[in-house]
Amino acid sequence: MASLYRGRDRVQLHLGMLPGLLVYVLFGIIPSVATAVISLTNYSGIPGLPVNFVGFQNYVQAFVLDSTGLLGSIRDTLVFAVSVTVIQNALALALAWLFTKRYPGRAIFRSLVFMPAALGVTVIGLTWALIFNPSGGPAANLLAVWGGNSAFFGSDTWAMPLVIFVQIWANLGFTTIVYLAGMNTVPGELYEAAKMDGASGWRTFRSVTFPMIAASTTVNVLLAAVGSLNTYDLIYVLTDGLYHTNTLGMYMFNTAFEGSSNLGLAATINMVEFVITFVVALTLQKFLRRREEVLG
Amino acid sequence: MKHTARLAGISAIAITLTGGLVATIPAQAASSNNVVNLITWVNPPAVAVLKQINAEFEKANPGYSVNYQTTADVTGGYATAQQTAVQGGTADVMGIFPFQPLPYNMTQNSLSPTQLWAVHNVFAPLSGQPWVKQFNPSIMANAAYKGKDYGLVSGVYQDGVFYNKTIFAKYHLTPPSTYNGLIHIAEVLSAHHVVPFFDGLQNVGPLYLQFITYPLLQDLWLPKVGDVNSALWSGKTKWTDPAFIKVMQREKTVMRYLEPNFTGVPWQAMPGSFADGKAAMLLDGSWDLASVVQANPHVQMGYFPFPGSNKASVNQSLLQPDLTFVVLNNSPHKAAAMKWMAFFASPKIYAQYVDATGISPSRISGSYNSVASRTLGKWFGNGVSLAKIFPQLPGSGSYYIQPKNWWELQLEMYQGKYTPQKVAQMYQSGWDQLGK
Repeated sequence: MASLYRGRDRVQLHLGMLPGLLVYVLFGIIPSVATAVISLTNYSGIPGLPVNFVGFQNYVQAFVLDSTGLLGSIRDTLVFAVSVTVIQNALALALAWLFTKRYPGRAIFRSLVFMPAALGVTVIGLTWALIFNPSGGPAANLLAVWGGNSAFFGSDTWAMPLVIFVQIWANLGFTTIVYLAGMNTVPGELYEAAKMDGASGWRTFRSVTFPMIAASTTVNVLLAAVGSLNTYDLIYVLTDGLYHTNTLGMYMFNTAFEGSSNLGLAATINMVEFVITFVVALTLQKFLRRREEVLG
Repeated sequence: MKHTARLAGISAIAITLTGGLVATIPAQAASSNNVVNLITWVNPPAVAVLKQINAEFEKANPGYSVNYQTTADVTGGYATAQQTAVQGGTADVMGIFPFQPLPYNMTQNSLSPTQLWAVHNVFAPLSGQPWVKQFNPSIMANAAYKGKDYGLVSGVYQDGVFYNKTIFAKYHLTPPSTYNGLIHIAEVLSAHHVVPFFDGLQNVGPLYLQFITYPLLQDLWLPKVGDVNSALWSGKTKWTDPAFIKVMQREKTVMRYLEPNFTGVPWQAMPGSFADGKAAMLLDGSWDLASVVQANPHVQMGYFPFPGSNKASVNQSLLQPDLTFVVLNNSPHKAAAMKWMAFFASPKIYAQYVDATGISPSRISGSYNSVASRTLGKWFGNGVSLAKIFPQLPGSGSYYIQPKNWWELQLEMYQGKYTPQKVAQMYQSGWDQLGK
C-alpha cells in the first residue's frame, strides 16, 4: 500500500478511513476489550456502585459452580452451529444449482427462497411459534391426521431440531444467493469441455462447479458458522433457551438480564463464547483458504 | 489544484462524519421537563388502561406528556429495558415486581437485579408523598426498604383455579376444598375426555408451574415451618423436608392432568383456550380474567383456591403483589414523574386501573367493580402473601438454585428423569453450597 499511495494520496486515504476506523474502534474494539476486563470484576451496572476486581472468581463460578449450565450450553451451541452450518450450506448449494437451470416459475421460486431474509427475527419467531402451537396450530393439526402429537418448541426432543430448521429457513435465501453468484461466474467453456468429455451432471458439479465456487463456500461456511455460534435472538423468541436450546449467547443473555445481577459473570460467558468462535473461525478460515488455493 | 480540491472534499467528509459520530454518542435528546417516560411489560388490560390514564393525565395537566413504552413480556426484553433505564436514565417511572422479601445474607450474588437497585438508591423514596398513607402499608411493604417506601404497589393478584361452571354442571361437579377432591374431579373429567387443567409453558418456561407449586408449598410446607423463606435461610428447615418432597410428588400428579403437550403451548394462549372450553379449569393468576372475558363474554367462570392439602381450612388463596411503579433517582424529570404517580394514586384514576385489570386494590378505601371482584367473590383481596411461602433464590450460585433454573428440575421430574426425593436432594445440595 505504501508503495502505491504517497504524499497527499496517502493523507486522503487515511482521512477516508477515519470514520470507518472510529466506528470500528468505538463499537468493536472498545466493547470487546471492555468485556474481557468486566469478566474479571463484579460489575453490576448500577450507577455509583463500586466495581471491584475479583480475579478469576467469575470463571470459577462459570466452570465449577455453574458447570451444569455452562457445559450444557457449550454442547447446545456446538450441536446448533454444526447442524446449521452443514445443512444450510448443503441445501443452499442444491438450490443454487437448481436456480441455474431454466424452467417455468424459476423467478418466483427464487423470490420465495430469499423472502425470509427480508423478515425480522421476531416476526419469524412468532410466525413459527404459531405454526407449531401444539394447541390447535397447523402443524399440530397436520400431525393429528396421522394420530401423532408433539409439544414442538416445548419438547426436549423436537425443540432443538425445530430451532435449527427455523434458523436455516431464515438464512437460506442469502446463502443461496451467494452460491448462485459464484456459480454465475464459472466460465461456460468449462461446462462445454466437461460435456464434450461426457461428464455426467453430478460429475460436472463435483469437478467443475464446486471447485470453482470455493470462494463462495468459504464466505458461506464462515458466515453460517460464526453467525450460528453467536445466535440468541431467534432462540429467545422461540424457546427462551429451554429444552436443550440454551446456546452460549442465550445463556449469557439470561445470566445478564434474568435472575443474576452479575454482569461480570455474563461477560465471562461471553469470553467463553468468544474463544470458541475465534478458534472455530480461524480453523475454518485456514482450512477453506488452503482449499481455495489448491483448487484455484 | 484538482488534488487540493479533492483533499479538501475528502477532509470535509471525514471531519463531518467523524464529528457527527462523536457528537452523537453523548448526545441526549433535548427534552422538556414535563415529559414522563414510563416503561412496563405487556399485560394487555393493564396496558390499555394505562394508555387511557396517561391521556387523562395529559388532559388534566396541560403541557405535560407521557411517553409510554412496553416490551412483549416480563422476561428478557423487559429486563434489558430496565437495565437501560437504570444505567442510561431512559425512564422516569419504571414498572417492577416488588423486591421483598430480601434474602438473609445480602450479597451482590444473592440479590436479584431489582433488589440490588432497591438497596443501592436507584429508586427515589416515595415516603412523604401525600398519597402514600392512603395505601395499605402491608402491601406497600413489598416495595419498602429500611422504613422507606420506594414503590407504588398497584395491588395484588390471586393465584388459583378458575373453573368453567358449565362443564362442572354438566358432570355434576362442585368446587373441591381438598387435594383428594381436586384429583377426583380431574379423574372424572379425564374419564369423559375433558382436559381437567390448562396451563401454557411455551416461552415463559416451567416458571408457570408456579400455579401448582406455590399453593402446594403454602398448604403443605407453610403450616409446618411458619415462614418458608425465613426457615430455609435460617436452616430451620431443608429442601429435603418430607413436606417439600410431598409438594413435588403432588405437583407431578397434578401435571398429569394438564392439557397434552402443555410445555409447548404459549402462555399467551391460556385465557383464550380456557374461554373456548378447551379445559375445565385454568391454573392462572387473576390478571388473566379480563382477557378470558374478552375472548368469550359468555363464559360462566368461577374460582376456588388450589387445594394443596386434605385439610380444607389451610387451603388458602395466594396473593402475589404485582406491577409496582418506582421513580428512578437518575430520572431527568423527577418532578413530572412524581406528579404522574400522585395522579395514578388518586381515587378515581386508581379505581379505573383496578376495574380494568382485576387486581385486588392496595388503596385502603374505594369501591370497585371488576370481573375479578365478581369472579373471586369472598376471596377478592384475601389470602396468604407469596412472600411467606417462596424463598428468595440467589441470583447466582449453584445452577439449580438460581431463580430461572429452579423450575427446570421439576419439569425433568415430570419427565421421569428425577424422582421427587432426588430433586429435593439436588436443591439442598445447591443450597448447602451457598453457605460455603
